[in-house]
Amino acid sequence: MPLITRIYLKSGLIFFVGALLLGIALQIDALAFTALVPLFWHMLMLGWITQIIMGVSLWMFPRRKKVESFKNQCWAWIAYLFLEIGLILRIITEPLILTSSLVVWEILLALSAILQFMAVVFYTLEIWPRVLSKEKLKRVRKKER
Amino acid sequence: MPTVSRWMIRISLIYFVLSAAIGMCLLLNKAYPFYPEIWKFLPIHIELMIFGWLIQFTLGTAYWILPRFLKNKARGNLGMAITIPILLNGGIWLVVLSSSIFNINSLAKIGRILELLSVVVFITLHWKRIVSYNVS
Repeated sequence: MPLITRIYLKSGLIFFVGALLLGIALQIDALAFTALVPLFWHMLMLGWITQIIMGVSLWMFPRRKKVESFKNQCWAWIAYLFLEIGLILRIITEPLILTSSLVVWEILLALSAILQFMAVVFYTLEIWPRVLSKEKLKRVRKKER
Repeated sequence: MPTVSRWMIRISLIYFVLSAAIGMCLLLNKAYPFYPEIWKFLPIHIELMIFGWLIQFTLGTAYWILPRFLKNKARGNLGMAITIPILLNGGIWLVVLSSSIFNINSLAKIGRILELLSVVVFITLHWKRIVSYNVS
């Protein structure tokens, strides 16, 4: 299993535990802030399920570069970094934007929105050319030789 | 990768980007409220993310990757396989249209029925492919 997949999967598992802890918090009256509801869903759907799908597809889809390096997998690495930073910024800033009037939280929340979207775009750029038929894959491999 | 899988995966990636773009606008609107009506798009964001991206991508990948039949057609009836993305995407669009433009509840019901039928066809086609060919 390539390093990038291992990192996606382990990060996904951490978000899974985080989402479930948040789910428990939402059931406790003293901790159940409404701002936590979208966080719970995004940690579960984006941090856990989507991140696992991304990691496994980067490993299983055809035309995976055997030599692992940032250069060979740059879109996937950028997608990972943007997704993690975007999600973590969101977890910090989304509740704070309701409780604090500091402008910095608005800026960071907007940055988080852009980073999460860009992560999806970069992942798509990585995986789209790898959605190939057997025949096309043979032709591509022949060309590469 | 078979044609049905390629189509389903590519469509799911388009939905993924589209849904993420809607999500980005919703979150930006939280930081800098610029268009209160934007929350109308929340059901579309959820529908495209769950049915358009997650479910379609996993079904498309499963059609490609599950163990194939050793005799006859490797992945079963092609006609049935083609109906999976048609029913699923038809259902997604009906739900999206009903929640955004037309606001007709019966349209959403038909959409959900199409999504269910798509999953039923998927299960029918794949049930016998969930096997192990290892002989112990």
